[in-house]
Amino acid sequence: MRTSDPIIELQGVAKDYATEAVVVHALRSVDLTIERGEFVAIVGQSGSGKSTMMNIIGCLDRPTRGRYMLDGIDVTERSNDARAIVRNRLIGFVFQGFNLLPRTTALENVELPLVYRGISGRERRERAIKALSQVNLADRMHHTPNQLSGGQQQRVAIARALVTEPPLLLADEPTGNLDTRTSLEVLGLLQELNRRSGITICLVTHEPDIAACASRVVQMRDGRVRSDTRNEQPHDAFAALAELPREGEGAVVTQ
Amino acid sequence: MRSFLSALRLALRAIWRSKLRAGLTVLGILIGVAAVVIVVALGTGVRQKVLGEISSLGANIIYVFPQATNASGAKVVDSGRLTEADGAAIVKEATSVSDVTPFSSLSAQVVADEKNTPTQVMGTTRSYWKVRDYKFAAGESWTDTDELLKAKVCVIGDTVRENLFGEGEAVGKYVRIGRYPYRVVGVLQKKGQSPFGEDQDDRLLMPIGSFRARVMPSTPGRVQLLLASASDERTVDRAVQQIEVILRQRHGIDPDDEPDFVIRTQAEFRKSQEQIFDSLQVLLSSIAAVSLLVGGIGVMNIMLVSVRERTREIGIRMAIGAGEGDIMIQFLVEAVVLSLIGGMMGLTIGVGVISLLTKALGWSMELPLAAILAALGTSGGIGVVFGFFPARSAARLDPIVALRNE
Repeated sequence: MRTSDPIIELQGVAKDYATEAVVVHALRSVDLTIERGEFVAIVGQSGSGKSTMMNIIGCLDRPTRGRYMLDGIDVTERSNDARAIVRNRLIGFVFQGFNLLPRTTALENVELPLVYRGISGRERRERAIKALSQVNLADRMHHTPNQLSGGQQQRVAIARALVTEPPLLLADEPTGNLDTRTSLEVLGLLQELNRRSGITICLVTHEPDIAACASRVVQMRDGRVRSDTRNEQPHDAFAALAELPREGEGAVVTQ
Repeated sequence: MRSFLSALRLALRAIWRSKLRAGLTVLGILIGVAAVVIVVALGTGVRQKVLGEISSLGANIIYVFPQATNASGAKVVDSGRLTEADGAAIVKEATSVSDVTPFSSLSAQVVADEKNTPTQVMGTTRSYWKVRDYKFAAGESWTDTDELLKAKVCVIGDTVRENLFGEGEAVGKYVRIGRYPYRVVGVLQKKGQSPFGEDQDDRLLMPIGSFRARVMPSTPGRVQLLLASASDERTVDRAVQQIEVILRQRHGIDPDDEPDFVIRTQAEFRKSQEQIFDSLQVLLSSIAAVSLLVGGIGVMNIMLVSVRERTREIGIRMAIGAGEGDIMIQFLVEAVVLSLIGGMMGLTIGVGVISLLTKALGWSMELPLAAILAALGTSGGIGVVFGFFPARSAARLDPIVALRNE
């Protein structure tokens, strides 16, 4: 927004899925540019193509047609291994289902991306602990996912996405499995990260409340961008959290 | 190296998590490796024992047999003529031969009082004791005079003594073969079975002159076998050549014609025995190897299950930056670790069984270092070979599909 420094550039990106009977056009020629430092919400009903677009943006899937530039690199036709490196270096993923490795401690889960970057054990540990303190979970680092609440698991997943200090964080329905309070906690955390460290956040959701927290909302329908609006006054998730009636102990995120 | 170490840790943890399943898989490899190791060690043990016994018969012994020849047309010439005089000539002329013992034998019924037993009746000379290393348990050998006079005396083996005299004294008693009685002058010390399965105590020996005169009437001097001993183990080949030359000359056989005798050495027996053992060893080892193969298939099976179960984990790893190589290594290392654990345990159990067998059978069994390394190498190799396909199928998963997997 401030300068023209796009991190994501989709040019005429389309994705077809060939099933036995018909060809499904999941995406039909999408042009989308996201600047560095933006907080974008991608909304739309199921079947609108938003998940397909996220998979392409996340280098998990390849477009059938069109070109995708990520951080100035054309990743459209790269090999699987090159795309694995791109995912490791440039992207942090947060999923709806958390996708933490079971029976593996929070610390080890957060260390994992660094393992594939070939970073030594000690540095890995230090950086993982730092990332966990960023999400205020340093005291739970030896817990395994089934010993953590949903909100805590999602914060571990965010720490895992942040540990490589990527320029882009992709969140696919990150609050889909969480109640209102924890949703707001997670969302507030993302807002704060976006504000403080300037990380670009691209968030898929179907809830208008969540989308209202983003500075830009891209609405998808039938595989096309239907509307693309700036939100000059995004909701502050922490403020909304404070207005909620207190119940039990809510995690307060500090840095 | 670092990524290998972390893959190793990962593998150990994954194995630890499914202990029972991993244990059963390991069992397959374990049995295979233990079987191979035990068969190899048993093979070396049997081989050493038997070949050692063959050598103990005298590594420098040369056997000379008469051989029937087809001189011309269909007419079969009388079976080869080998005589004591041939033996005497060999001793006299062959410089590499130290001694020659004539020998003939026949199966016959031996009677003592009301008891009788079938046995091998042999005619030979006093030098036989030395050549075949027989010792006397009671009494002593017949004398040179007995040989000259074709005396009716004999020496019996332990089996014959037991069959005829039981607990009673044998020396001085008489046994009868055919129409003639023979006085027992000595009893041989028990020797047990020969490597060829022959009871070396089931025999009755007498001077060869007496044998020819009464037991198996035949031309004077005729023998069935000449036992020559080379002066040294190393001169056996030269002794064989000398004997051949001397006998050809004495029997008037041209160098190009087929001789009427056959010369065999202990070394040849040894060689043929070795060949038998080698093929037996190959046979048993391949059976053991098949069980190792089955173990390998078990590893592959369990790895395929493991990949299927952890599809989502693979998807997560791929999403956060694991390349195909990383996933491949992870599962390959797991398969190799699984197999190596089985290999090491199998080796341990194999060595345990071998030492038990060594004690029980009294054989000296050897497990060569090469066999140990081969066992470990093979089990590791099985991990690589049978882990490859599952690991590759894991590495080739589509991350989106893998992530969607529940």
